[in-house]
Amino acid sequence: MKGHLLLQDAIRSLFRRAATHRYPAERTATPERLRGKLTYNPEGCTGCCLCTKECPANAIEIITVDKANKQFVMRYHADRCIYCGQCVKNCRFGCLEMPNETWELASLTKTPFTVNYGEDADVERVLAGLVTPEPESTP
Amino acid sequence: MNTVPERFVVPIGPQHPALKEPGHFEFTVDGEQVTAASVRLGYAHRGIEKATEGRNWVQNLYLLERICGICSHIHATAYCLGVEKLAGVTAPPRAQAIRVVVAELERIHSHLLWLGVAAHEAGFDTLFMYSWRDRETVMDILEALTGNRVNYSANLLGGVKFDMTPELQDMILKGLEFLEQRTHDYVAVVTTDATLLQRTRGVGVTSREQVEELGLIGPTARASGALRDLRVESPYAAYADFPIVPVTATEGDLEARFVVRLKELFESYRLIRLILEKLPEGELQARMPRKIKPAETISRVEAPRGELFYFIKSNGTDQPERIKVRTPTLCNLASVCILAVGSQLADVPMILAGVDPCFSCNDRAVSIHSTKLGEKQWTWAQLRQYGIDYYRR
Repeated sequence: MKGHLLLQDAIRSLFRRAATHRYPAERTATPERLRGKLTYNPEGCTGCCLCTKECPANAIEIITVDKANKQFVMRYHADRCIYCGQCVKNCRFGCLEMPNETWELASLTKTPFTVNYGEDADVERVLAGLVTPEPESTP
Repeated sequence: MNTVPERFVVPIGPQHPALKEPGHFEFTVDGEQVTAASVRLGYAHRGIEKATEGRNWVQNLYLLERICGICSHIHATAYCLGVEKLAGVTAPPRAQAIRVVVAELERIHSHLLWLGVAAHEAGFDTLFMYSWRDRETVMDILEALTGNRVNYSANLLGGVKFDMTPELQDMILKGLEFLEQRTHDYVAVVTTDATLLQRTRGVGVTSREQVEELGLIGPTARASGALRDLRVESPYAAYADFPIVPVTATEGDLEARFVVRLKELFESYRLIRLILEKLPEGELQARMPRKIKPAETISRVEAPRGELFYFIKSNGTDQPERIKVRTPTLCNLASVCILAVGSQLADVPMILAGVDPCFSCNDRAVSIHSTKLGEKQWTWAQLRQYGIDYYRR
């Protein structure tokens, strides 16, 4: 079969399953290290803002509700995020995580891409406009 | 009646000439034969070099990683090695070894991608489909190792983010075994398949002298017998501890470029296995300062397409003063215009694909100082006006 080596392969493939997956009907396991939507645990956050300073996409804002009592709300822009994981690496208190669970983030509106993380009462205060966020740093 | 034959120019591009990237070529033809060729680039200029000046060292790592979607890790590695040199920091041996593992996996991914693209240009879509199917294996490995299929974000200033685990090692070794067997098949196909050989053997022959004259680099130069491989000439990261055996060929035609790239895959498989076996123990990251004292350096690495060059200048703050990037495509692209002359027009897409071009990585703004233009520095308004005037003509 000199000169037609791939022909054998091609004929064999006729009797095999397609190499592609029928996503979303057929799902494969998500890789363990895949970086999904960022999560924030307000406990332990000191408001050092190392996550925001080195975020390449300016996707994180830390809104200070009460500095003395260490109450912060993190506003996360999932549409700007490039999922590099630098913030997770930077956080010395383990408040940030990028679990592999939520990664199908497509949406018809932009609203779900802005997420406010924090204690419920703090988030409510921020959303009610009682806390003025610091002006965003320009890239 | 006009007896002087008119020049007939065939424009190719800017939309997707051969590859799915923008570049404009004009070939003057006499019948089917190309008599002159010119190239125009710059359609995908993104202003990345300027953008680096407004971001800090860490943010730039991710910006520069996005210069190229295929060889993203090697861009980040070149930048990291340069910035580490400026800061006087050396990444730990384990981190350097993992950098090389990811870089070699990326080379496998890039070469298999190129094999598919080149086969597609030759009209051999079966080879294209199979090579891209097998490329999924290496992309799955990269995804398991770093979490991403492209733009892996494996590097950090001073080290790497991800550690190697025994399970991952098993997965990588299993994947490599499959790929190695497939690569043997591909070498057999590209050296014996009569149809493909008609498109590659003796086409776009680059002599050793042309390599020197045009300053060709990477696999394009190695296919013409020139040993140009920074992993050997100036070992960086862990290449000094884990040396590679460079692959060269002497023919200089497209077939030789296929063979060189495919044989490099075997070298990558061997090197990855060796590193996994003797992976140094230790830390993954060295401490990096936030600000870097004023200095300048160059950083050179061997990307899948050839030498990648970074010039980095710091000014004592947490942001760089200037970063200049030269990607391998710029060096190799000149050969397309030279080789196209005298060849058949139908061979031109193959000759272009033969250098494995990556236009988007390559596009930079260059200002030429001339007495006619006067000032050496342009303001934003002047630059904008120049653009408007240019297109009004």
